[in-house]
Amino acid sequence: MYRHSTASAQRTVAVMKRYDLIVVGAGPSGLSAATEAAESGMKVVVFDENSRPGGQLFKQIHKFFGSKEHHAKVRGFHIGEELLREAAAAGVEVELDAAVIGIYENKEITVRKAEHIEHLKGDTIIVATGASENMVPFEGWDLPGVIGAGAAQTMMNLHGVKPGQRILMLGSGNVGLVVSFQLLQAGCEVVALADAAPTIGGYGVHASKLARCGVPFYLSHTITKAEGSDRVTGAAISEVDDKFRPIKGTEEHFDVDTICIAVGLSPMSQLLKMSGCRMSDDPKRGGQVPDVDEYGETSVTGIFAAGDVSGIEEASSAMIEGRIAGARAALRMGFISAEEESARQKSFSADLAGLRRGMFAPGSKGRMPEKTEEGLDISVNLLTKGYLSDDEVTKYPGVVKKKGLHPVIECSQNIPCDPCQDACRFNCIKVGNDITLLPQVDMGSECTGCGMCVASCSGQAIFLVNEDYDDRSASVTLPYEFLPLPRTGDSGFARGRSGERLCTAEVIDVKTSPAYDKTNLLTIRVPKDMAMKARFYEPLPAREADA
Amino acid sequence: MIGETMDNDRRIAEHPVLGTIEKGRLVSFSFDGRTVEGYEGEPIAEALKALGVMVHRYTAKKNRPRGIFCAIGRCTDCVMIVNGVPNTRTCITPVQEGIIVQTQYGVSAKDGGSHEKI
Amino acid sequence: MNEVNDRSRDIGEFVPQADDDMIICRCEEITKGEIRRAVHDGMWTITEIRRFLRCGMGLCQGQTCARLVKDIAARECGVPYSSLEPATSRAPMRAAEMKILANEK
Repeated sequence: MYRHSTASAQRTVAVMKRYDLIVVGAGPSGLSAATEAAESGMKVVVFDENSRPGGQLFKQIHKFFGSKEHHAKVRGFHIGEELLREAAAAGVEVELDAAVIGIYENKEITVRKAEHIEHLKGDTIIVATGASENMVPFEGWDLPGVIGAGAAQTMMNLHGVKPGQRILMLGSGNVGLVVSFQLLQAGCEVVALADAAPTIGGYGVHASKLARCGVPFYLSHTITKAEGSDRVTGAAISEVDDKFRPIKGTEEHFDVDTICIAVGLSPMSQLLKMSGCRMSDDPKRGGQVPDVDEYGETSVTGIFAAGDVSGIEEASSAMIEGRIAGARAALRMGFISAEEESARQKSFSADLAGLRRGMFAPGSKGRMPEKTEEGLDISVNLLTKGYLSDDEVTKYPGVVKKKGLHPVIECSQNIPCDPCQDACRFNCIKVGNDITLLPQVDMGSECTGCGMCVASCSGQAIFLVNEDYDDRSASVTLPYEFLPLPRTGDSGFARGRSGERLCTAEVIDVKTSPAYDKTNLLTIRVPKDMAMKARFYEPLPAREADA
Repeated sequence: MIGETMDNDRRIAEHPVLGTIEKGRLVSFSFDGRTVEGYEGEPIAEALKALGVMVHRYTAKKNRPRGIFCAIGRCTDCVMIVNGVPNTRTCITPVQEGIIVQTQYGVSAKDGGSHEKI
Repeated sequence: MNEVNDRSRDIGEFVPQADDDMIICRCEEITKGEIRRAVHDGMWTITEIRRFLRCGMGLCQGQTCARLVKDIAARECGVPYSSLEPATSRAPMRAAEMKILANEK
């Protein structure tokens, strides 16, 4: 620990570099905080220990949920690019390869840069260091081939390298679900997804994307062993009882070369603890978190926490929390007036509240609702197997029977999200002002088949169905984000929601457009009775196709 | 299987969302005495992964193999001897032409021998 | 007296378990059994366990194992997870060579 005598402290302060605001972490919340503060006139520096900014954001290649103000239907890495542009425009200094290794009294920090350290002062500090991955140990978990979910994303999405060929995913929260889909997109095979919990922890729509590709879900299962001598060659899982103990005789084995761990995140809050902030252990927020007020200020005046470090949530909420803390820091140091700050906070607070609603809201953690806000049954099949069953699907307001072409929205959980509503210019889709409500398909409106709704749904849960395509066939237009992209005239199989092969299918249209942002629209022709079952297309294996 | 040359099946040639991921120029470097290839600027660990290399080191106490675990420079499982420096996190250290990468045994090169100097 | 600090409590004998060989601290190669045995040897706080076994003092400085060690120790002590004080957070937050720490600009 550094301890200066009073005389030398004064001397050091006189020459020490000082910033109005020091932000620790250049992830979504850190960059947002810095931009807000810099736009208010503060001299801001952001330190990040990594060599690239953006935290985990640039690894997120899926489209975000929420509403327009939450960057809905925009892919994570595009949001990251936008954040960097805003920060640069506001004059924010971002220093990379600069690890803040200590926060001391009087908001002094030490930063390690390359081969030296620097001792600096911030009038205010915002700690936005994010979270680290949780671990679940098992026999053989130290073998090469066992990796974190973040590692899989880094390899695939930043460096273009496949993490492996055959993967077992552990964890069914949004991270496990999203990364599993990204593994499929990278050309890997996800052999199974296992979770010791009895129900899938993440969004049903994320699970459904996997289920229809044939990925099996093993809920109430835990991994018992990673096999191999110098690398993973296989894995064994077992069913567990209600005390999470493996049940004898239920072991299943998979041939895999990679085991991916996605069992949750914990705030990386050690710097806050060191700075003297009051901390508490809050399982709902992910572990050791600082006590903060609604503006992110800790028990130490002028030190704030924003983003996952103050409670595990998502990038969307992290960005708003960053703005909230940035505005408050600006007020603290007199850069903006109380009225101005109050107006901004009102707007931020409304945006944040908009996200924190519905089935997966932070306040709802641990509680499993049985009915949606509309009073419809929550699908148990979706929660345990990852897909809506054929007879369940028709209960939801987005699934209607209509003559001719119409959207079918298989959205069955209350999540704040509404890009589908904005996508349709012909008023076919309505969510309403409360964007947590399930989307409804309007019976009176005419669908033009533009496909914008299909491409805009971040959960890939919207399809265009025409049961009257011709005498014997129906057409189903589905979102397709894989390579190789099928071509009109190709033949393959139609898969149902559970991933089972239903029938042969002919590709009758493939649409690509910049407006769809890489979500291609694939239209297949299937027998009429498959119209409400066929939800994915599997191309024929190369050899069969050439025959 | 380790191939001296790039095994393209381990690299994603074209990604459905990201397209072609930008890479630096192809360069040669040394891995345990063999000449291999990687892209300048990418993390050493990624280049090794694309070559099929899974084991980066053997632990000091129990001689157990370790490889990439977190891939973001935090867990230190991927460390190797790079240009004579042990405990170098290969997941955040970039490939450069001519670097010398060695499997780490404990904290030394094999058999506790001297590290290859640059 | 705070339950955690009351060392007159009887936490029972050390009972070997099937997964005692499992590595918990990957950097220092400390097993679950060693951590559990340390508790029975009288170490009831994370700070003591860390100093005795070195779990959390390796290259990654506890980034990977901290929560696991705390969970095992809490169970062995028979106290709730949240009641165990985590290891002290002190500089440097990231491992740094002495020559760098000494090189202040």
